Amino acid sequence: MPQIFSPRSDRRLRLALAIGAAALPLLLALGFAYVRSDAAWAVGVPAAQPIPFSHAVHAGSLGLDCRFCHAGVERAAAAGMPTAETCLGCHARVWTVAPQFAPLATALAQDTAVAWASVHRLPDHVRFHHAAHVQSGVACQTCHGPVWEMPRTVKAETLSMGWCLDCHREPAPRQRPVERVFDREPAAGPPPERPFGLAAQPVLHQGIEVSPLTRCSTCHR
Amino acid sequence: MLSDSAGRRDLLLMGASLALAAAGCDGPDEHGHPLPARARGQAAEAASFATVLDLEGLGRGVLARTRAGHAVKLEGNPQHPASLGATDLFAEAAVLSLYDPERSRRIRHAGAPCPAAELDAALAAVRPALLASQGRGLRLLTGPVASPTLARLIAELLAACPEARWHQHDPLADDAALAGALAAFGEPVAVLPDLARAQAVLCLGADPLGPGPAQARQARDWSRGRRAGRAAGRLPRLFVAEASPSLTGARADRRIPLHPAEAEEFARAVAAALGLPGLARGGTHPEAAGIAAALREAGPAGLVLAGRGQPPAVHALAQAINQALGAPGTALRLTAPPLARPEPMAASLAALTAAMAAGAVTHLLVLGANPVAEAPAALGFAAALRRVEFTLHAGPWLDETAERCRWHVPLPHPLEAWGDSRAFCGTPAIRQPVTRPLAEAARGEAELLGALLGTPLPAREAVAATWRAAWGEAGFEARWEAALEAGIAGDPAPAIAPALRPDWDRPGETGPAPAGLVAHFAPDPGLGTEARNAWLQEMPRPLTGLAWGNAALLDPLTAATLGLAPGDEAELTLDGRTVLAACWPLPGQAPGCVTLPLGGDRQAGGAVGSGRGFDANRLRSADGAWMAPGLRVRATGRRAALVSTGAPHRPDTGGAVPRLRPGETLPPVAPGASLHPAWAYEGRAWAMAIDLDACIGCNACALACQAENNVPVVGPEELARGRGMHWLRVDRYDAPAPEPAAASFQPVPCMHCEQAPCEPVCPVNATVHDQEGLNVMVHARCVGTRTCSNNCPYKVRRFNWNDHRPALDTPRRNPEVPLRPRGVMEKCTYCSHRITAARTQAGLEGRALRDGEVETACQRACPTQAITFGDLNAPGSAVAALRQDGRGYALLGHLGTRPRTTYLAPVVPAAPA
Repeated sequence: MPQIFSPRSDRRLRLALAIGAAALPLLLALGFAYVRSDAAWAVGVPAAQPIPFSHAVHAGSLGLDCRFCHAGVERAAAAGMPTAETCLGCHARVWTVAPQFAPLATALAQDTAVAWASVHRLPDHVRFHHAAHVQSGVACQTCHGPVWEMPRTVKAETLSMGWCLDCHREPAPRQRPVERVFDREPAAGPPPERPFGLAAQPVLHQGIEVSPLTRCSTCHR
Repeated sequence: MLSDSAGRRDLLLMGASLALAAAGCDGPDEHGHPLPARARGQAAEAASFATVLDLEGLGRGVLARTRAGHAVKLEGNPQHPASLGATDLFAEAAVLSLYDPERSRRIRHAGAPCPAAELDAALAAVRPALLASQGRGLRLLTGPVASPTLARLIAELLAACPEARWHQHDPLADDAALAGALAAFGEPVAVLPDLARAQAVLCLGADPLGPGPAQARQARDWSRGRRAGRAAGRLPRLFVAEASPSLTGARADRRIPLHPAEAEEFARAVAAALGLPGLARGGTHPEAAGIAAALREAGPAGLVLAGRGQPPAVHALAQAINQALGAPGTALRLTAPPLARPEPMAASLAALTAAMAAGAVTHLLVLGANPVAEAPAALGFAAALRRVEFTLHAGPWLDETAERCRWHVPLPHPLEAWGDSRAFCGTPAIRQPVTRPLAEAARGEAELLGALLGTPLPAREAVAATWRAAWGEAGFEARWEAALEAGIAGDPAPAIAPALRPDWDRPGETGPAPAGLVAHFAPDPGLGTEARNAWLQEMPRPLTGLAWGNAALLDPLTAATLGLAPGDEAELTLDGRTVLAACWPLPGQAPGCVTLPLGGDRQAGGAVGSGRGFDANRLRSADGAWMAPGLRVRATGRRAALVSTGAPHRPDTGGAVPRLRPGETLPPVAPGASLHPAWAYEGRAWAMAIDLDACIGCNACALACQAENNVPVVGPEELARGRGMHWLRVDRYDAPAPEPAAASFQPVPCMHCEQAPCEPVCPVNATVHDQEGLNVMVHARCVGTRTCSNNCPYKVRRFNWNDHRPALDTPRRNPEVPLRPRGVMEKCTYCSHRITAARTQAGLEGRALRDGEVETACQRACPTQAITFGDLNAPGSAVAALRQDGRGYALLGHLGTRPRTTYLAPVVPAAPA
């Protein structure tokens, strides 16, 4: 009975198998890298906003405090978005470019919402409380980055669960006195190096108390 | 076991990337999703409004919680006397009706939508003609009216049109109670029982713990009375004589199944045994002497309540016995009725129908009533309606009456309109809108009447005008604000002391008991607006376990004689009227009596309400009698599509619910043996205690849980497969034969076992314990093996067989609780979002959590405060104290699961009374 496969096709098969075997870890590594990349988390991607609002102008050049527009940040879960009245409080007098502020006029006239687009929205199963973080001395820029330099607001961090846990495992280096939460100077030193490998894994489930900050039910609902 | 969390997580992420789910489980959700900020104020935050909801025309105070301007959840208003902070089924479910996509949104003329201006023009055209003829031919039909504003406007209309007539229709009205009060006192009287002070109560067909506008209050009073009685070692006694089992009967010390034909004889026997003066005729019954002795012993703390379906003579007898006992002022209070004009409503509707059929009615306004579906078909209302020239129906839905009227006007939902109301005790309250109107064209009854009167006024102005007249101009604004803030606008009606007429006893005619079966009509969720409410349809009825429909209820012996198995179809015939119905045997039903729940098989009930069960109104006689002899039942040999969550009879022969005699105690709750290492809970330890002695099985907790936790509705087919999603179910255990108590109800949420059997069997660690003892479910990790549910001895875990998120993602959903995707397990979380919210708030205020600060949704809803929740480790916490109670026990405690939810056993009388 003649051979069905020639030695050449045999070699091809072996080559293909070898390439496949080599490509598998490569694919794994690529995927591993991608889900951790900023692109996968939309870091640096601005969202389309109803009004071309610039934090760089308002918070940067004019030096408005964060709380001027995000009034709930010290007492509620949601920091709150500015209402049309907040905007028009100033813009009735300065920089009254009517076409740009049409969404505000509409909102006021119809008593509806200004449809600001969320840049930092967390998934449904995550509970985040702004006031609790402010109270614990987490500065705004720890999560939001240097917002006062952003002409168009973008995410500065991935806000992934791993990123949250980095801080929840060891919050002290990133905390500052509560009265300096809204200050804009960077933290004293660079953020601490994240321990890697086994060093990052204190022996859990061995009777050693896990920090309350890293329990599932602390952040998840 | 080495640490697993990060390594396992990385591996999972890699797997996810290979599967091209590159965004990952925790990817940025909804980037660029609208984050609405209101035009004014801070409405995006949570807010709470006090308002009032009506049931059978009488108000119950609620606090409506809103998020971003949308009503999300209703809770009881602690200041309102009909609520005292608790809710009932119907109040909990009202928020779902608000967002019903089938609500009527357009004004319609001859069935076609038309602009509001056309309606205004039509009303303006009608008005001069009516005024000229003094309103001759004008009839107004409403539901029961207790609202002061509506009553004022109707009075104004009747003053402007003296020839016009006002009729009321309530399918649940108890006209015999009115007749009995007139016989006894010569004036209409409302009987307000004080079950907290009553020591002996006899219910003659009355169901004070059952659904109704005073349920939450009376159940609270009853549980307070029992609590005080247990502490004093002298439990109040509850006797119930009734034809069909009720929630009150289930908790009675002595329950007597009484054929309706024997009701008057029984009441007379008790009256005779008490030696009641002025009794025209005595009676005999073997139980009467014992009950009379208990009532006599209680004296002024004794009480007799006659209920729906009893003849007027029994109502008069109950009033006379109460007077003889000296009960007014102690066990009950007599007041003027809360309704603006008490009248026999069946007679009122019959008079209207007769006038319509005679052609004497030219203009008919139906405001908030649906007589075509809810009046007995034999009355012929629908046929008479065709003879009326101008018909206008105002209602929240395009229902059966709306389809037959020329004009239809959508009514606003009570949560989006101004109005006012009175509670069962007469306490007035102002209803304020808690959300923007979802139906722009909707108009309230007050606005329609105002338009007809030629004084159109927005509803808010109309209500304010009523109260300005009542309170006077001075200080009105402050008082108005205070009334809106508190949710009540005045005091209960003052007690009256009417004298018993000498000729109070007018015996009903006694003949030989009619042959055949007796039809006993009964209310059932499904009447009125409730038929379209999927939460109410899917909630199993407490005593039958039936959902998504109704059935004719027979006692098991009668059913067996007729050859009817549970779920068999039967042909019911009464006076030549015939209907096909499913049959369901119900232990405790009086032999020879068939209970026919009203409100089934709606023709225009929408996708949810249409064609569920059978329509008992097709059998009911034209006079709206609650009892009718001469019912014939014939098995058809077919099976009916009946959905039940359990067997008709669940005798508790194994002692699943320990029933204690007074003074008896159970061994203390001890942690059972376990193979798993124990864990010391050093911080908080959340726990729940459920007092089965207080539970009346009203299901308010289960519905509150559904509303709070975005629990989906699965529909009849899925429910019949056992795929219901209620996180909290209320089990019923019928007492074994010699026990006096009829049934015990046992709410079963997740037990949050310290040694939870669900946890070690999960292959992906999706259900884990946290340090405060919560058994938490990580939906994002769950892969849906359902092993945890198989291993759960309490069967409290629910699996998402379908993706229910599209149906749940409405403005009504509670944003604090995530929606679960298809293929994951879910279960009671002890309202962990409420725990976290309270913990965060306490942290912000820099204080420790107070005991009772965290209230679960079920606990908040419970009318009898049977549920206690708190920190077991906090010294002096209520739940820790209940753990030490002698009645405490753990469900299936011998399994060693160490449940955090424990129960307190019910107490039954020392010996069968």
